[in-house]
Amino acid sequence: MAKKPIIQFNHVMKQFDDDAPVLDHVSFEIEKGKFYTLLGPSGCGKTTILRLIAGFTEATSGDILFEGKKINHVPANKRPINTVFQDYALFPHLNVYENVAFGLRIKKVKKADMDAKVKEALSFVNLKGYENREITDMSGGQKQRVAIARAIVNEPAIILLDEPLSALDLKLRYQMQYELRELQRRLGITFIFVTHDQEEALAMSDEIFVLNKGKIQQSGTPNDIYDEPINRFVADFIGESNIIRATMIQDFLVEFAGKQFECVDQGMDPNEAVEIVIRPEDMEITSVEQGSIRVTVQAQLFRGVHYEITCMDDTGNEWLVQSTKKATIGEEIGLRFTPEDIHVMRLNESEEDFDRRLDAYSEDENDAK
Amino acid sequence: MQNKTFRNLFMLPYALWIIIFVIAPILLVVYFSFFDINGNFSLTNYKNFFTATYLQMTLNSFWYAFLITVISLLIAYPTAYILTRTKHKQLWLLLIIVPSWINLLLKAYAFIGIFGTHGAANRFLEWAGIGSRQLLFTDFSFVFVAVYIFIPFMILPIFNALDKLNPSLLYAASDLGASKWTTFRRVIFPLTLDGVKSGCQVVFIPALSLFMLTRLIAGNRVITLGTAIEQQFLVTQNWGMGATIAVFLIIIMVGFMALTSIRRRGV
Ligand SMILES: Nc1ncnc2c1ncn2[C@@H]1O[C@H](COP(=O)(O)OP(=O)(O)OP(=O)(O)O)[C@@H](O)[C@H]1O
Ligand SMILES: [Mg+2]
Repeated sequence: MAKKPIIQFNHVMKQFDDDAPVLDHVSFEIEKGKFYTLLGPSGCGKTTILRLIAGFTEATSGDILFEGKKINHVPANKRPINTVFQDYALFPHLNVYENVAFGLRIKKVKKADMDAKVKEALSFVNLKGYENREITDMSGGQKQRVAIARAIVNEPAIILLDEPLSALDLKLRYQMQYELRELQRRLGITFIFVTHDQEEALAMSDEIFVLNKGKIQQSGTPNDIYDEPINRFVADFIGESNIIRATMIQDFLVEFAGKQFECVDQGMDPNEAVEIVIRPEDMEITSVEQGSIRVTVQAQLFRGVHYEITCMDDTGNEWLVQSTKKATIGEEIGLRFTPEDIHVMRLNESEEDFDRRLDAYSEDENDAK
Repeated sequence: MQNKTFRNLFMLPYALWIIIFVIAPILLVVYFSFFDINGNFSLTNYKNFFTATYLQMTLNSFWYAFLITVISLLIAYPTAYILTRTKHKQLWLLLIIVPSWINLLLKAYAFIGIFGTHGAANRFLEWAGIGSRQLLFTDFSFVFVAVYIFIPFMILPIFNALDKLNPSLLYAASDLGASKWTTFRRVIFPLTLDGVKSGCQVVFIPALSLFMLTRLIAGNRVITLGTAIEQQFLVTQNWGMGATIAVFLIIIMVGFMALTSIRRRGV
């Protein structure tokens, strides 16, 4: 915890005219050298956060700190931060070399140094020998790599990437995900990456911020967020999930689909209305007798690796299951899951309360030991 | 095959138009330029053109056209830039364009009124304590009025070029450490150079052959190639010499066009 955050947001608000705030009291810390992802649906304020960090726009209220110093009014050209724009924003009148060298020329780097640095940056992104190409003659993936080279060549403290992969085809996109992650590890530069693709976020990040409507819903490692979503929005946004209304009878006991189940959650009020999440891949199809609940198969889709089966239980809840086994539509089957597969979410719980509750029962466990 | 004949058929009206209204007149001008004042075929006109009087006139035309173009550009560029940053830019642009719809002659006469001995300009100078002076029939008033007339044609292409500029390029420049001035020098100006070039073309070329203003506003103190052509045709009735000057004017214009339309890569 002694590590000083490189970027810190303290209750940052951003509002345009009299509209509802685009960012609503956003606070977070970014540590040096990690790969962060801002994840959220379109219009939730991801680009706005990047623009605030880059210095293209100013916060309506709240503080933005860089290594502990307030930078709210520092202009973009005075910040050691570079951006890879969603549309790349490469200069069409300059060739690849001049695009990459743009920042170095402004810093008046000597010609020999500049040549070496540009060359190194281009080889980092696998574009060796493309120096004299015109930007208009480059493919989408190549342009994107030029944009990355143009950012890294300045050796900034932070690189901001605004959905840089969204324009690429699936295959190139996967390849670039690997390359970007690998690049970040090699350079040790802090990356803040924006995407609305949850798979991309889970695959690449050290830490994810899930945003919705200008608020951070949850932050944590990909595993934390996937396994313990704080609310319906996060559970729904990150991966496929079954979200079912339930009642928390008491600690470790939850009721849904007309039955009571053992679970691993605690710290709620007795008989509190809650929601539970079970991931489709965590359930197993068995016979009706062996199953935790009984459902009827309604639809089935072949997804390549697995079948995606939609079922309905007796109380009218829909269940999505992933299974390598085929089912028959109309058939009654059992779904089996363990207490660990059930994740209980309180309604409208804030991230602080959520963390406090989790901390509280890890302390209980410690006391017990 | 059939497609091709069809296409040629459609081309016909345009081809005819160009032959009748562009090529034929140019050929006629060239043809006339080889006849002296008595209607004899000769090269005297061309010989005359290379005398001090006409060379001086050519230089004069160049100088004034250059002055008018440069001043227009210096005013138009910042204006267009500010326009693209205003809220109702299309409306403002329209207001700037509207005066160009008014007849040139009307505008010239309006300026005679304004710059005259008892005109608004002189009354203002008196009020300011500078005292009235001769404004009409000076180089100043000529250039001033010409710039006034040509400026919308300079603003329009520059405005379009600036308006087309992708704003994220400006953010990118600033992101890479460029100050406002560096961003202008390295990104904005090079990317709007095409607009500047077409603006210069539409101002410089007509400015070369201005003739009405030279008489009305400059009181024939400024003699340009345009004035000379008018004089030769209407006053001296020496069509051959008029045509010869026109031939040189055409050559100069074509040269200027070629010079300003060398396309830059990638833009
Ligand atoms: N200059 C502006 N004026 C008014 N509203 C704006 C402005 N810029 C952004 N907004 C609003 O702010 C909200 C958040 O925008 P932002 O660009 O940050 O979204 P985003 O999360 O990046 O979305 P996307 O995934 O679609 O890029 C949007 O509702 C948008 O309409
Ligand atoms: Mg965005």
